[in-house]
Amino acid sequence: MRPELILLAVVVGLFTWTFRFVPTRLKLSRTDADTFLRRFLVATGPAAIATLFVASVLPLAKPDIAEIAPLALGILAVLAAHLVRPSVVLSTLAGALAYGLATLAF
Amino acid sequence: MSETQAPSSSFRAGLVMSIPVVLGYFPIAVAFGVAATRAGLSPAEAVMFSVVIFAGAAQFLALTLVTSGAPLVLTAVTLIVMNLRHVIYGPVLLEKAGRHAGARHAWAWAWCLTDEVFATTLGALMRGRRFSERLVGGIGLGAYLAWIAGTAVGVLAGESAFEAWPVLDAALGFMLPSLFLALLLSFLDKTQLLTVAAAALATVLGTFLVSPSVGILAGMILGAAIGALKRASQ
Repeated sequence: MRPELILLAVVVGLFTWTFRFVPTRLKLSRTDADTFLRRFLVATGPAAIATLFVASVLPLAKPDIAEIAPLALGILAVLAAHLVRPSVVLSTLAGALAYGLATLAF
Repeated sequence: MSETQAPSSSFRAGLVMSIPVVLGYFPIAVAFGVAATRAGLSPAEAVMFSVVIFAGAAQFLALTLVTSGAPLVLTAVTLIVMNLRHVIYGPVLLEKAGRHAGARHAWAWAWCLTDEVFATTLGALMRGRRFSERLVGGIGLGAYLAWIAGTAVGVLAGESAFEAWPVLDAALGFMLPSLFLALLLSFLDKTQLLTVAAAALATVLGTFLVSPSVGILAGMILGAAIGALKRASQ
């Protein structure tokens, strides 16, 4: 293995771990005061997951029926599965299966 | 025994909850393994990247930068900045955990706190599951092992890994968007619609006007800020 690649991986890995770990020690969140920071952290949950969903579908959303139709059917399958039975695992699998099958049809 | 060892938030429960993430990660990691060998990394170097960095988008970008001959310092700084968004994940989970919050072993589970592990854990908490370090550790370890295994398969099998199963290949490619939407639906209510809409709009604008990384950061920060302001006005 090349030493420069090992160094790069170790430095980036260490910083990434620091970003993920150090804030858990700051005890920013464990307060009873209704501060803006606390409200911000509470609101970050839905904002973060909505962001990750949009960010993950944007590369798939192209003006081409072969791309957009499987995407639309995949999303609809997740919605339909959620209405039938609100299970994250089943809804996820239903969406992925619908998307996979739709790529055959379009 | 402490409450955090209750079955509903056990390590095994975390592993089970990691299944959608595992299914989503595996093909992406295979793709990384293939791309890494194409970029000139040895099999050991490719797997080492996944073991030591464990950040998908950053690893793909690393390949681009390394093969383009970018200076090592510039490459490192670019990748580090790209992962800066992870600073909010721990505090958000611990805030949601409430009186069950615990970070004694955060040095271990935080290693695996990727976007998807964070989202899966948060979704579980928002649906009423109690936080435990074992739970997030189980979700994280499942994801981590899938990432490493997928990279190894990509390195060894090359592009032919899913060639014989095109439907499976396509389905696995949609696993993560499907997971994020299912998680969002699992706890969404009317009071969060403005937050979600603001986050979505900011993500789209940030992505198209600047870059996908900025889009993610803008979506999370602006969505949360608007959500916090709305809560303050209520």
